[in-house]
Amino acid sequence: MTAFDASTVTGGWSLDRLPPGLVQAGVGCELERLESFERIKSTARPALVLGDRVAVYTWTGFGIDAGGRMEVGDDCVLVGPQFLCGDRITIGPRSVLSYNVSVADCDFHPHDPAARALDAEAISPAGSGVRPTLDTAPVHIGADCRIGIGAVILKGVTIGDGATVAAGTVVTGDVPAGATVAGNPGRIVHP
Amino acid sequence: MTTLEHDWFPGTVPDNVEIGPDGWFHSTFAFRHYRSRRPRGLVIGANCGIYIGTLFDLGPDGEVEIGPTSTCTGPIFATNNRIELGERCLVSALVVLADEPCATPPVADEPTAPPSEPRPVVISMGDDCWVGMGATLLAGAHLGAGVIVGAGTVVDFAVPDGAVVVGNPARILPGKGTA
Repeated sequence: MTAFDASTVTGGWSLDRLPPGLVQAGVGCELERLESFERIKSTARPALVLGDRVAVYTWTGFGIDAGGRMEVGDDCVLVGPQFLCGDRITIGPRSVLSYNVSVADCDFHPHDPAARALDAEAISPAGSGVRPTLDTAPVHIGADCRIGIGAVILKGVTIGDGATVAAGTVVTGDVPAGATVAGNPGRIVHP
Repeated sequence: MTTLEHDWFPGTVPDNVEIGPDGWFHSTFAFRHYRSRRPRGLVIGANCGIYIGTLFDLGPDGEVEIGPTSTCTGPIFATNNRIELGERCLVSALVVLADEPCATPPVADEPTAPPSEPRPVVISMGDDCWVGMGATLLAGAHLGAGVIVGAGTVVDFAVPDGAVVVGNPARILPGKGTA
Protein backbone atom coordinates (compact mmCIF):
# COMPACT_ATOMS: atom_id res chain seq x y z
CA MET A 1 0.00 0.00 0.00
CA THR A 2 1.24 3.44 -0.88
CA ALA A 3 0.40 6.50 1.11
CA PHE A 4 -2.72 8.43 0.24
CA ASP A 5 -2.03 10.85 -2.58
CA ALA A 6 -4.30 13.87 -2.65
CA SER A 7 -3.73 14.36 -6.37
CA THR A 8 -5.73 11.19 -7.05
CA VAL A 9 -8.92 12.92 -6.00
CA THR A 10 -8.50 16.30 -7.58
CA GLY A 11 -9.70 15.20 -10.97
CA GLY A 12 -6.35 16.30 -12.32
CA TRP A 13 -4.44 13.03 -12.17
CA SER A 14 -2.74 11.70 -15.22
CA LEU A 15 -3.76 8.63 -17.19
CA ASP A 16 -0.01 7.89 -17.26
CA ARG A 17 -0.41 6.36 -13.81
CA LEU A 18 -2.22 3.43 -15.42
CA PRO A 19 -0.63 0.81 -17.71
CA PRO A 20 0.04 2.39 -21.12
CA GLY A 21 -3.00 2.42 -23.37
CA LEU A 22 -5.33 0.86 -20.79
CA VAL A 23 -7.70 3.83 -20.67
CA GLN A 24 -8.31 6.21 -23.54
CA ALA A 25 -10.08 9.39 -22.46
CA GLY A 26 -11.34 12.24 -24.66
CA VAL A 27 -10.95 15.93 -23.96
CA GLY A 28 -12.50 17.57 -20.91
CA CYS A 29 -13.13 14.45 -18.85
CA GLU A 30 -13.50 14.82 -15.09
CA LEU A 31 -12.01 11.74 -13.50
CA GLU A 32 -12.31 12.03 -9.76
CA ARG A 33 -10.52 9.04 -8.28
CA LEU A 34 -7.70 6.93 -9.64
CA GLU A 35 -9.18 4.07 -7.62
CA SER A 36 -12.12 3.93 -10.03
CA PHE A 37 -9.73 2.47 -12.63
CA GLU A 38 -7.67 0.13 -10.47
CA ARG A 39 -9.78 -2.97 -11.10
CA ILE A 40 -9.27 -3.07 -14.86
CA LYS A 41 -7.65 -6.47 -15.49
CA SER A 42 -8.34 -6.52 -19.21
CA THR A 43 -5.57 -7.31 -21.67
CA ALA A 44 -7.35 -5.28 -24.38
CA ARG A 45 -5.80 -1.94 -25.35
CA PRO A 46 -7.63 0.24 -24.83
CA ALA A 47 -9.77 -1.65 -22.35
CA LEU A 48 -11.84 1.43 -21.57
CA VAL A 49 -12.68 4.24 -23.97
CA LEU A 50 -14.20 7.41 -22.51
CA GLY A 51 -15.57 9.99 -24.92
CA ASP A 52 -15.21 13.74 -24.51
CA ARG A 53 -16.37 15.50 -21.33
CA VAL A 54 -17.24 12.32 -19.44
CA ALA A 55 -17.62 12.81 -15.67
CA VAL A 56 -16.54 9.89 -13.48
CA TYR A 57 -17.51 10.65 -9.90
CA THR A 58 -16.64 9.34 -6.48
CA TRP A 59 -17.52 5.69 -6.06
CA THR A 60 -17.53 4.65 -9.72
CA GLY A 61 -15.64 1.40 -10.29
CA PHE A 62 -14.63 -0.21 -13.56
CA GLY A 63 -14.24 -3.93 -12.88
CA ILE A 64 -13.13 -5.16 -16.29
CA ASP A 65 -12.04 -8.79 -16.52
CA ALA A 66 -9.39 -10.27 -18.81
CA GLY A 67 -11.36 -10.19 -22.07
CA GLY A 68 -13.55 -7.20 -21.28
CA ARG A 69 -13.82 -3.92 -23.12
CA MET A 70 -15.96 -0.87 -22.33
CA GLU A 71 -16.95 2.26 -24.21
CA VAL A 72 -18.61 5.33 -22.70
CA GLY A 73 -19.95 8.01 -25.05
CA ASP A 74 -19.43 11.78 -25.00
CA ASP A 75 -20.96 13.83 -22.17
CA CYS A 76 -21.97 10.86 -20.02
CA VAL A 77 -22.21 11.37 -16.26
CA LEU A 78 -21.17 8.37 -14.18
CA VAL A 79 -22.16 9.32 -10.63
CA GLY A 80 -21.35 6.05 -8.93
CA PRO A 81 -21.90 2.94 -11.05
CA GLN A 82 -20.06 -0.31 -10.48
CA PHE A 83 -19.28 -2.09 -13.74
CA LEU A 84 -18.58 -5.83 -13.90
CA CYS A 85 -17.44 -6.39 -17.47
CA GLY A 86 -16.34 -9.78 -18.76
CA ASP A 87 -17.01 -9.09 -22.43
CA ARG A 88 -18.44 -5.78 -23.55
CA ILE A 89 -20.41 -2.90 -22.05
CA THR A 90 -21.18 0.16 -24.17
CA ILE A 91 -22.95 3.38 -23.21
CA GLY A 92 -24.19 5.93 -25.73
CA PRO A 93 -23.63 9.67 -25.45
CA ARG A 94 -25.27 11.91 -22.82
CA SER A 95 -26.49 9.10 -20.59
CA VAL A 96 -26.55 9.55 -16.81
CA LEU A 97 -25.93 6.67 -14.37
CA SER A 98 -26.81 7.81 -10.85
CA TYR A 99 -25.58 6.76 -7.40
CA ASN A 100 -25.03 3.06 -6.58
CA VAL A 101 -25.95 1.71 -10.02
CA SER A 102 -24.58 -1.74 -10.97
CA VAL A 103 -24.04 -2.93 -14.54
CA ALA A 104 -22.85 -6.48 -15.27
CA ASP A 105 -22.45 -8.30 -18.59
CA CYS A 106 -21.76 -11.59 -16.83
CA ASP A 107 -22.70 -13.31 -13.60
CA PHE A 108 -19.03 -13.04 -12.65
CA HIS A 109 -18.92 -16.56 -11.24
CA PRO A 110 -19.92 -19.86 -12.90
CA HIS A 111 -23.35 -21.33 -12.15
CA ASP A 112 -21.95 -24.87 -12.01
CA PRO A 113 -20.98 -25.54 -8.35
CA ALA A 114 -17.72 -27.35 -9.16
CA ALA A 115 -16.60 -24.64 -11.56
CA ARG A 116 -17.59 -22.01 -9.02
CA ALA A 117 -15.43 -23.67 -6.37
CA LEU A 118 -12.47 -23.55 -8.77
CA ASP A 119 -13.24 -19.90 -9.45
CA ALA A 120 -13.30 -19.10 -5.72
CA GLU A 121 -9.84 -20.66 -5.39
CA ALA A 122 -8.53 -18.90 -8.51
CA ILE A 123 -9.51 -15.42 -7.35
CA SER A 124 -8.44 -15.86 -3.72
CA PRO A 125 -5.35 -13.93 -2.58
CA ALA A 126 -3.15 -17.03 -2.92
CA GLY A 127 -4.94 -18.28 -6.05
CA SER A 128 -3.64 -18.64 -9.59
CA GLY A 129 -5.89 -15.97 -11.03
CA VAL A 130 -6.68 -18.35 -13.89
CA ARG A 131 -10.45 -18.50 -13.91
CA PRO A 132 -12.97 -20.82 -15.57
CA THR A 133 -14.78 -19.42 -18.59
CA LEU A 134 -17.65 -17.15 -17.61
CA ASP A 135 -21.01 -16.87 -19.32
CA THR A 136 -21.23 -13.38 -20.73
CA ALA A 137 -23.63 -11.38 -22.88
CA PRO A 138 -22.94 -7.77 -23.86
CA VAL A 139 -24.82 -4.89 -22.27
CA HIS A 140 -25.67 -1.84 -24.34
CA ILE A 141 -27.09 1.35 -22.85
CA GLY A 142 -28.20 3.76 -25.55
CA ALA A 143 -27.90 7.52 -25.89
CA ASP A 144 -29.68 9.93 -23.53
CA CYS A 145 -30.65 7.23 -21.02
CA ARG A 146 -31.29 8.00 -17.36
CA ILE A 147 -30.40 5.18 -15.00
CA GLY A 148 -31.80 5.88 -11.53
CA ILE A 149 -30.29 5.47 -8.07
CA GLY A 150 -29.45 1.89 -7.11
CA ALA A 151 -30.61 0.31 -10.36
CA VAL A 152 -29.09 -3.05 -11.35
CA ILE A 153 -28.63 -3.87 -15.06
CA LEU A 154 -27.86 -7.51 -15.77
CA LYS A 155 -26.17 -9.36 -18.60
CA GLY A 156 -27.51 -9.34 -22.14
CA VAL A 157 -29.65 -6.24 -21.60
CA THR A 158 -30.04 -3.59 -24.28
CA ILE A 159 -31.54 -0.30 -23.15
CA GLY A 160 -32.82 1.80 -26.02
CA ASP A 161 -32.08 5.48 -26.63
CA GLY A 162 -33.83 7.87 -24.27
CA ALA A 163 -35.06 5.17 -21.90
CA THR A 164 -35.53 5.79 -18.18
CA VAL A 165 -34.74 3.23 -15.48
CA ALA A 166 -36.43 4.15 -12.20
CA ALA A 167 -34.55 4.11 -8.90
CA GLY A 168 -33.93 0.62 -7.51
CA THR A 169 -35.02 -1.21 -10.67
CA VAL A 170 -33.51 -4.62 -11.43
CA VAL A 171 -33.36 -4.78 -15.24
CA THR A 172 -33.25 -8.33 -16.58
CA GLY A 173 -34.59 -7.78 -20.11
CA ASP A 174 -34.40 -5.30 -22.97
CA VAL A 175 -35.93 -1.85 -22.57
CA PRO A 176 -37.31 -0.23 -25.76
CA ALA A 177 -36.20 3.26 -26.78
CA GLY A 178 -38.01 5.94 -24.80
CA ALA A 179 -39.60 3.49 -22.35
CA THR A 180 -39.57 3.66 -18.54
CA VAL A 181 -38.90 0.54 -16.52
CA ALA A 182 -39.42 0.19 -12.75
CA GLY A 183 -39.57 -2.36 -9.95
CA ASN A 184 -37.92 -5.68 -9.05
CA PRO A 185 -38.07 -7.47 -11.38
CA GLY A 186 -38.22 -4.49 -13.71
CA ARG A 187 -41.43 -4.00 -15.64
CA ILE A 188 -42.14 -1.46 -18.36
CA VAL A 189 -44.42 1.17 -16.88
CA HIS A 190 -44.42 3.62 -19.78
CA PRO A 191 -43.86 2.03 -23.18
CA MET B 1 -10.52 26.92 8.33
CA THR B 2 -11.62 23.97 10.41
CA THR B 3 -10.00 20.62 9.85
CA LEU B 4 -10.60 17.25 11.47
CA GLU B 5 -7.70 15.98 13.54
CA HIS B 6 -8.12 12.37 12.41
CA ASP B 7 -8.76 13.14 8.74
CA TRP B 8 -7.17 11.08 5.94
CA PHE B 9 -8.40 13.60 3.34
CA PRO B 10 -6.74 17.01 3.06
CA GLY B 11 -10.01 18.95 3.21
CA THR B 12 -11.72 21.41 5.50
CA VAL B 13 -15.13 21.68 7.12
CA PRO B 14 -17.10 24.36 5.25
CA ASP B 15 -17.96 27.46 7.30
CA ASN B 16 -21.73 26.84 7.08
CA VAL B 17 -21.49 23.35 8.61
CA GLU B 18 -22.27 22.82 12.31
CA ILE B 19 -21.22 19.52 13.85
CA GLY B 20 -22.53 18.99 17.37
CA PRO B 21 -20.37 17.90 20.32
CA ASP B 22 -19.50 14.34 21.34
CA GLY B 23 -19.95 12.88 17.87
CA TRP B 24 -17.79 11.30 15.17
CA PHE B 25 -17.43 12.63 11.63
CA HIS B 26 -15.45 10.34 9.34
CA SER B 27 -13.76 12.77 6.99
CA THR B 28 -14.02 16.03 5.10
CA PHE B 29 -14.16 13.78 2.03
CA ALA B 30 -17.91 13.94 2.79
CA PHE B 31 -17.78 17.49 1.38
CA ARG B 32 -16.19 16.49 -1.95
CA HIS B 33 -19.30 17.76 -3.80
CA TYR B 34 -20.69 20.08 -1.10
CA ARG B 35 -21.75 23.39 -2.63
CA SER B 36 -24.34 24.68 -0.16
CA ARG B 37 -24.27 28.44 0.31
CA ARG B 38 -27.17 28.49 2.75
CA PRO B 39 -26.56 30.23 6.10
CA ARG B 40 -26.67 26.80 7.75
CA GLY B 41 -26.02 24.22 5.04
CA LEU B 42 -25.48 21.18 7.23
CA VAL B 43 -26.42 20.93 10.90
CA ILE B 44 -25.59 17.74 12.78
CA GLY B 45 -26.85 17.35 16.35
CA ALA B 46 -24.86 16.22 19.34
CA ASN B 47 -23.59 12.66 19.67
CA CYS B 48 -24.09 11.66 16.01
CA GLY B 49 -21.90 9.09 14.24
CA ILE B 50 -21.28 10.02 10.60
CA TYR B 51 -19.19 7.17 9.21
CA ILE B 52 -17.17 6.43 6.08
CA GLY B 53 -19.04 6.60 2.79
CA THR B 54 -21.41 9.32 3.90
CA LEU B 55 -21.45 12.16 1.37
CA PHE B 56 -23.20 15.51 1.45
CA ASP B 57 -23.69 16.32 -2.26
CA LEU B 58 -25.62 19.51 -1.56
CA GLY B 59 -26.36 22.06 -4.26
CA PRO B 60 -25.96 25.80 -3.57
CA ASP B 61 -29.51 25.95 -2.12
CA GLY B 62 -29.30 22.60 -0.29
CA GLU B 63 -29.73 22.05 3.47
CA VAL B 64 -29.53 18.95 5.67
CA GLU B 65 -30.29 18.79 9.40
CA ILE B 66 -29.67 15.60 11.36
CA GLY B 67 -31.05 15.19 14.88
CA PRO B 68 -28.91 14.22 17.86
CA THR B 69 -27.76 10.66 18.55
CA SER B 70 -28.30 9.60 14.93
CA THR B 71 -26.06 7.17 13.06
CA CYS B 72 -25.20 7.40 9.34
CA THR B 73 -23.09 4.46 8.12
CA GLY B 74 -22.57 5.71 4.59
CA PRO B 75 -25.68 7.28 3.09
CA ILE B 76 -25.48 9.90 0.34
CA PHE B 77 -27.50 13.10 0.70
CA ALA B 78 -28.06 14.66 -2.76
CA THR B 79 -30.33 17.68 -2.53
CA ASN B 80 -30.74 21.28 -3.55
CA ASN B 81 -33.69 21.55 -1.13
CA ARG B 82 -33.94 20.55 2.54
CA ILE B 83 -33.72 17.15 4.22
CA GLU B 84 -34.52 16.72 7.94
CA LEU B 85 -33.81 13.73 10.19
CA GLY B 86 -35.12 13.39 13.74
CA GLU B 87 -33.36 12.07 16.82
CA ARG B 88 -31.81 8.59 17.05
CA CYS B 89 -32.28 7.84 13.34
CA LEU B 90 -30.27 4.91 11.94
CA VAL B 91 -29.39 5.27 8.25
CA SER B 92 -27.46 2.41 6.70
CA ALA B 93 -24.85 1.94 3.97
CA LEU B 94 -25.69 2.46 0.29
CA VAL B 95 -28.75 4.53 1.20
CA VAL B 96 -29.36 7.53 -1.06
CA LEU B 97 -31.61 10.47 -0.16
CA ALA B 98 -32.13 12.54 -3.30
CA ASP B 99 -34.36 15.13 -4.95
CA GLU B 100 -34.60 13.09 -8.14
CA PRO B 101 -34.47 9.42 -9.19
CA CYS B 102 -31.49 10.08 -11.46
CA ALA B 103 -29.61 12.45 -9.16
CA THR B 104 -26.10 13.68 -9.86
CA PRO B 105 -23.67 15.71 -7.78
CA PRO B 106 -24.45 19.42 -8.05
CA VAL B 107 -23.08 21.33 -10.99
CA ALA B 108 -24.35 24.83 -10.18
CA ASP B 109 -22.33 27.08 -7.86
CA GLU B 110 -24.66 30.06 -7.44
CA PRO B 111 -27.67 29.99 -5.11
CA THR B 112 -31.02 31.08 -6.53
CA ALA B 113 -33.16 31.02 -3.34
CA PRO B 114 -33.15 34.03 -0.97
CA PRO B 115 -31.17 33.08 2.18
CA SER B 116 -33.99 34.34 4.44
CA GLU B 117 -36.63 32.05 2.91
CA PRO B 118 -36.85 28.48 4.20
CA ARG B 119 -36.13 25.74 1.71
CA PRO B 120 -38.84 23.17 0.95
CA VAL B 121 -38.44 20.01 3.01
CA VAL B 122 -38.45 17.28 0.35
CA ILE B 123 -37.46 14.34 2.58
CA SER B 124 -37.95 13.97 6.33
CA MET B 125 -37.74 11.41 9.11
CA GLY B 126 -39.34 11.56 12.52
CA ASP B 127 -37.48 10.38 15.59
CA ASP B 128 -36.26 6.77 15.81
CA CYS B 129 -36.45 5.86 12.11
CA TRP B 130 -34.41 2.92 10.81
CA VAL B 131 -33.46 2.83 7.11
CA GLY B 132 -31.99 -0.42 5.77
CA MET B 133 -29.11 -0.94 3.37
CA GLY B 134 -29.51 0.24 -0.21
CA ALA B 135 -32.83 1.96 0.35
CA THR B 136 -33.58 5.06 -1.73
CA LEU B 137 -35.59 7.96 -0.33
CA LEU B 138 -36.82 10.39 -2.98
CA ALA B 139 -38.64 13.71 -2.79
CA GLY B 140 -41.96 13.09 -1.01
CA ALA B 141 -40.54 10.51 1.41
CA HIS B 142 -41.79 11.82 4.74
CA LEU B 143 -41.32 9.14 7.38
CA GLY B 144 -43.21 9.37 10.64
CA ALA B 145 -41.65 8.49 13.99
CA GLY B 146 -40.30 4.97 14.38
CA VAL B 147 -40.65 4.00 10.71
CA ILE B 148 -38.62 1.05 9.41
CA VAL B 149 -37.58 1.05 5.74
CA GLY B 150 -36.45 -2.36 4.47
CA ALA B 151 -33.24 -2.92 2.51
CA GLY B 152 -33.45 -1.85 -1.13
CA THR B 153 -36.83 -0.17 -0.72
CA VAL B 154 -37.59 2.89 -2.85
CA VAL B 155 -39.84 5.38 -1.02
CA ASP B 156 -41.28 8.59 -2.47
CA PHE B 157 -44.43 8.95 -0.34
CA ALA B 158 -45.43 9.67 3.24
CA VAL B 159 -45.19 6.76 5.68
CA PRO B 160 -47.17 6.91 8.95
CA ASP B 161 -45.68 6.62 12.44
CA GLY B 162 -44.47 3.14 13.36
CA ALA B 163 -45.00 1.58 9.92
CA VAL B 164 -42.70 -0.87 8.13
CA VAL B 165 -42.25 -0.23 4.41
CA VAL B 166 -40.53 -2.71 2.07
CA GLY B 167 -40.09 -3.68 -1.55
CA ASN B 168 -39.91 -2.14 -4.98
CA PRO B 169 -42.54 -0.94 -5.66
CA ALA B 170 -42.72 -0.17 -1.94
CA ARG B 171 -45.64 -1.18 0.22
CA ILE B 172 -46.47 -0.80 3.90
CA LEU B 173 -46.49 -4.17 5.62
CA PRO B 174 -49.78 -4.62 7.48
CA GLY B 175 -49.53 -5.76 11.08
CA LYS B 176 -45.81 -4.99 11.37
CA GLY B 177 -44.10 -2.39 13.43
CA THR B 178 -46.06 -0.35 15.92
CA ALA B 179 -48.46 1.21 13.40
